[in-house]
Amino acid sequence: MSEEQRVSSIETRGVAGKKRYAMVVDTRRCIGCMACQVACKAEYDTPLGVNRTWVPYKVVGKYPTVKKQFLPRLCNHCDDPPCVRNCPVDATYKVEDGGFVLQRYERCIGCRSCMAACPYNARFMLPAHRTYSSITRVVDKCTFCFHRVTQNMVPACVQTCVGRSRVFGDINDPNSEVSYLVARNPTQVLRPEEGTKPQVYYIGADRNATEFGRDAYHKPDVMELDRSAFKRNFKI
Amino acid sequence: MGDYVWFHDVSWHASYAIYFFVIGICSGLAFLSYGSWITPALRPLREKAAYLSFALLAVGGVLLIADLSQPMRFLNVLNPAYLNFTSPLAWGSLNIVAFGIASVLYLMALKKGDETPRTKLIATVTALLALGLPVYTGYDLTVHQSRPIWNTPVMPVLFVALAIASGSAVGSLVAGGNEAARKVLHQYLLWSTAAVGVILVSILGTTNYGGAASELTFVILTTGTMGLIFVGIGILAGTAAPVALLLAPVGHKQSGLMLSALLVLVGSAALRYALLMGPQQLQTLY
Ligand code: SF4
Ligand code: SF4
Repeated sequence: MSEEQRVSSIETRGVAGKKRYAMVVDTRRCIGCMACQVACKAEYDTPLGVNRTWVPYKVVGKYPTVKKQFLPRLCNHCDDPPCVRNCPVDATYKVEDGGFVLQRYERCIGCRSCMAACPYNARFMLPAHRTYSSITRVVDKCTFCFHRVTQNMVPACVQTCVGRSRVFGDINDPNSEVSYLVARNPTQVLRPEEGTKPQVYYIGADRNATEFGRDAYHKPDVMELDRSAFKRNFKI
Repeated sequence: MGDYVWFHDVSWHASYAIYFFVIGICSGLAFLSYGSWITPALRPLREKAAYLSFALLAVGGVLLIADLSQPMRFLNVLNPAYLNFTSPLAWGSLNIVAFGIASVLYLMALKKGDETPRTKLIATVTALLALGLPVYTGYDLTVHQSRPIWNTPVMPVLFVALAIASGSAVGSLVAGGNEAARKVLHQYLLWSTAAVGVILVSILGTTNYGGAASELTFVILTTGTMGLIFVGIGILAGTAAPVALLLAPVGHKQSGLMLSALLVLVGSAALRYALLMGPQQLQTLY
């Protein structure tokens, strides 16, 4: 099994005695309600314009044969995370028991190397102003709800998911729900060729959503308007 | 349409390209100052190049720190308890500091008028540390395995060639009417710019024949505004044109050399910008 082939000492998938948390996203069950995105925003006071989790969609096919394909996204808490090895000051690190990839906000210098290293756009720079939190101008990302999981709760997005599309658990435990889903279903991870060993497994993900769009460089005009409007009002 | 594509920002902005440009010239000038110990024709440039290189190091340092979102924490990169040696940036910061110290020692020796083997040794160490600057900046891009163009082993080599080219270009402007220095600088500028061209062709070739992400990055870099900057200004006006000019008889004259130097400077700035920004575009839409 490929997951038992560990090439780096940092990897903990399949290591006896260690937890390795993972998420399974069953896209067949996702209805695109974005409740996960909202729950995450509420949990972390994530500012306007940036997201720890987001649910993009693509409309695939031509009327009347069409389908909206959702692909909930978040940090993959990679087993071999390039963001961690690229941080010059160890401000981003991997928790050995559990596999969470976390931030030391007080240490981050804001060089954005980790952002450049992440193949999944999972990281973002916190803007200068936030409503409730004083942590600003450092890089942030999904924490797999470390504070909840270590209190025996599931992440906020998993708890709120109405379709029960998101499932969370210890993939090193053969009896966990995530182990069962990954073993019994055809799954895929995003951009496996990057060697990051992502720990978010997708069931039924559509290639239109997981690949680079062939027309990616023809950005829709409406997006450019949004992007420039956003940048005007988003001071970092 | 109707797709909802969340957009992401690029990680490194244009200010980082300005840093690349400044630090490239800084290291190129350090090579020239060191070169004057081996090639007597460059002797008149020794002090000028060393001082200019040091001034640019200061400018580069300020740019680098200002680019951080937490500039006051820049000393964290020198804290041995924090340093992470798998990051090229950690090596880079040590390299910059070591180069700064070596440059100060070198300038002090030059000020004393020492032409001793000891000063030559300091010049050698300074030049070696100067070599580390483009190597680490290139390597800083190379390590990002998911980014086409960046993730090529020749990136540090390209940055070294760019540093020599832009350093020699500034040297050519500074050398003015000095015939002997001009002859040497002509050779430096010609060969380093030609090397930049050869490396770019090989990078573009492998990118165009690469996978989906590579092909799309190739398209981004060769069309539209980015195409104008990369191909138009960087490759044609800033690499091919100066090489042609330097090969022609006019390139051996002062005016020809100066014009080539200006073209190389503009071109190398455009190349650094496009090489930094272009490969980041595609992923903002992933
Ligand atoms: S998804 Fe990105 S940020 Fe998250 S662990 Fe992997 S490389 Fe790091
Ligand atoms: S932005 Fe912060 S967390 Fe990211 S690499 Fe730089 S110091 Fe590390």
